[in-house]
Amino acid sequence: MDTDTALQNARQLLEGFASEIQQPELNRLDFVIPVESLLKVVEVLKSNHWGYLSFITGLDCPAAEGAEAAGGKLEVLYHFAESAAVVTLRIRLPYDRAEVPSLCTLIPSVSIYERELMEMFGIQVIGTPDPRRLLLPDDWPDGVYPLRKSYQGFGSTSAEPQVEI
Amino acid sequence: MTKQEAFEKFIVPIGPQHPALKEPGHFEFVVDGEIVTGAAIRLGYVHRGIEKGVESRNWTQNIYMLERVCGICSHIHATAYTLGVEQLANVTVPPRAQAIRTLVSELERIHSHLLWLGVAAHEGGFDTLFMFSWRDRETVMDLLETISGNRVHYSTNILGGVKIDLDEEKITAIRKGMDFLEERTHHYLKVINTDETFLGRTRGVGTMSSQQAEELSAVGPTARASGVPRDLRIDAPYAAYPEFPVRLMLSNEGDLHARFVVRMNECLEAYRLIREILDHLPEGELTVRMPRRIPEGETISRVEAPRGELAYFIKSAGGDKPDRIKIRTPSLCNWGTITSVAVGHKLADMPMLLAGIDPCFSCNDRMVRVNRANQPQLWSWEDLRLYGIEYYR
Amino acid sequence: MNTALTLLLLLIFPGGLFLLGSGMAYEWVDRKLVARFQNRIGPRWFQPLADMVKLLAKEEITPQGVHKGLFIALPVVALAGALTAALYVPLIGFKPSFSFPGDLVVTLYLLSMMSLCMGLAGANTVNRFSLVGATRTLTQLFSYEAPFLLAMLGPAIVTGSWQINQINAQAGNTWWFILTQPIGFLVALVGLMGKLELPPFDAPEAETEIVSGALTEYSGRGLALFRLGKDAELVIGLTLVAAFYLGGLANPLEFLLKTLGLLVVMAGLQSLFARLRIDQTVGLWWRIGALLALAQLLVLIIL
Repeated sequence: MDTDTALQNARQLLEGFASEIQQPELNRLDFVIPVESLLKVVEVLKSNHWGYLSFITGLDCPAAEGAEAAGGKLEVLYHFAESAAVVTLRIRLPYDRAEVPSLCTLIPSVSIYERELMEMFGIQVIGTPDPRRLLLPDDWPDGVYPLRKSYQGFGSTSAEPQVEI
Repeated sequence: MTKQEAFEKFIVPIGPQHPALKEPGHFEFVVDGEIVTGAAIRLGYVHRGIEKGVESRNWTQNIYMLERVCGICSHIHATAYTLGVEQLANVTVPPRAQAIRTLVSELERIHSHLLWLGVAAHEGGFDTLFMFSWRDRETVMDLLETISGNRVHYSTNILGGVKIDLDEEKITAIRKGMDFLEERTHHYLKVINTDETFLGRTRGVGTMSSQQAEELSAVGPTARASGVPRDLRIDAPYAAYPEFPVRLMLSNEGDLHARFVVRMNECLEAYRLIREILDHLPEGELTVRMPRRIPEGETISRVEAPRGELAYFIKSAGGDKPDRIKIRTPSLCNWGTITSVAVGHKLADMPMLLAGIDPCFSCNDRMVRVNRANQPQLWSWEDLRLYGIEYYR
Repeated sequence: MNTALTLLLLLIFPGGLFLLGSGMAYEWVDRKLVARFQNRIGPRWFQPLADMVKLLAKEEITPQGVHKGLFIALPVVALAGALTAALYVPLIGFKPSFSFPGDLVVTLYLLSMMSLCMGLAGANTVNRFSLVGATRTLTQLFSYEAPFLLAMLGPAIVTGSWQINQINAQAGNTWWFILTQPIGFLVALVGLMGKLELPPFDAPEAETEIVSGALTEYSGRGLALFRLGKDAELVIGLTLVAAFYLGGLANPLEFLLKTLGLLVVMAGLQSLFARLRIDQTVGLWWRIGALLALAQLLVLIIL
């Protein structure tokens, strides 16, 4: 299956679910999907054997400075790959309801990506089998999500290192 | 795991510090006698916060930052990044630069596979093979040093091209090295395929069907050993792979032995490809001009690292720094295969099974923490740099 | 025999000092040979001694949850077992210091003390690696012990004696038993490797799986004693095999040549194979080793 056919197929499969479709690059399609239909969409892709889940990207898009704080959002990008073709499912989430359903029932190996997403962005993945921390230390404070733009590091950034080793 | 449960189950912890692991990771294997009945992993012992770090560095600094994600497949990380950024900037890199990139990544693949062969043999208690393969790996390390000046972080890539060129002398050296390694690799293939004790440890161990591999999203040699034809150099050729196609190395057995064979065959294919690139090395410039600010946009750059598909998601907000870079390393994909395949195997097979996917812990973990009297303190990069300068004064 | 002489025999020669010295020398030869086979440089000649001095000087840690007395006593017992065994074998080609009918059986059991002590030492701690290691050590003990014993019985039956001294003397008078009983020799040699937990039979201390098996919790003097015991066993084992199968040991030169020859073969075998899993080890010994040794014995008895 060449790239164009693959993308065409994907477009046919997913057109009904997407609120917005873009083609940012020749080999990519970008579908904006409401969070409610995520599981359904992935199931469609899976049952039609369209590619495999390549990776999940979390994005923090805070509101531009000066604009209203409510304008900011989190995005979760699910990238499915079939040879050179890549389909991205884009989920937009407000800060106060950052929840996505877990894909583990459909794709078991996704657990690690979901755990990473949870600790790095504070996006709750509902129903993931192992919600323990994967990468951050055990004594990392709750509610601090390092890959959000609002995170600027703890404590002083003064040039004086105060620690003796 | 509560204390009560820990008494009921017999858990063998492997890591974070364990002689079988060359890098820190933590695995818990629940065993019943010698049989493993459950497995869990915990990573992050070498988490360095690279994904956050890149957001505060400019596009050029990030090449060197990202090259340090992994010490074994450093070049391929830089390649994935530069290819992605060049795509965002809409810049076409000269063919000679692409060919050299490809050449170095194939040399790196050889280096990585030979290293893996040694580690995997060591996990299986076959130290002789370990010593021999690491001795031969020196050849390719020396070659990389000859052409780039470094053994590990070659820093071959720059945005818009490469910074090293090949002359006749270097080409001869590479050819000689390839001849030697080809002969050795044939020898190793013979050992892998005929040594009775070695076969006893690899054949039928950790078998993963192609359907399982597909389901668990395995990538790279792990997937190819299970008969999943997935190789980005063929599926979505990048750099100079459109001009210099590679042959797909597949095996249908899906066990550890197949992973050995696939990796060794990939080495042989790499020798062939390197010779071909040297024969038809395009003439011309090495670099093109790159803008300092990269236009706004998002791109996905996928390349075939020695361990499998390496994916970069790069988002630019139009500035001189990236807005977000997401790195998905191949090892992360293959972890899932271990936790599922491990159950039912013998404890003795675990190290080999772990090594079988060629895990790279640093690849998965990308802040520096200093503990002082129970009070953890995080250092910024700047603090650490200053501390380092102070320390070595 | 007066007490002074007995003490001398026990402490200086052939037990005690001499045995420890030669044990370390043989360990060095073994390590050096394996290193050369693996294309490495290998240790310098005094490395085993340096290791031992270092270990003796180190702090000894008694881990929590162990039976303290047992923890300290086990290495001593293991070493004592090996040293006592030395009194009954023709070290350096000299007559054994002590000898009585049936000392072969006693010697073989004294040699097994080592594995038993290691098994107990592992089971004594609460460390998981040690526990798994202990299980493996004992499993391995049960697998190689019977074939090894059977292999040692071959020459005993032919010579019609259970006394090491006499077998040694008789072995020198006829054809070498390696020619008449090749299977027995092979089983004995490989059995010795199993006994010493050398690769490929090093599953009980496979560092990539269970760190260092039963001895994981040992440090300092305890570890040093265990290692010394192993070195002593190496020498005694080699002496026994050489005396039985390679035409006896009559003088020091013969002793050196024959045991070192065996050591070269053993080092070669060590570097040739990948580690066997414990189930593979057991299978190998019971399915092949024990059967072969039994067949050999039957042939000997019938003939």
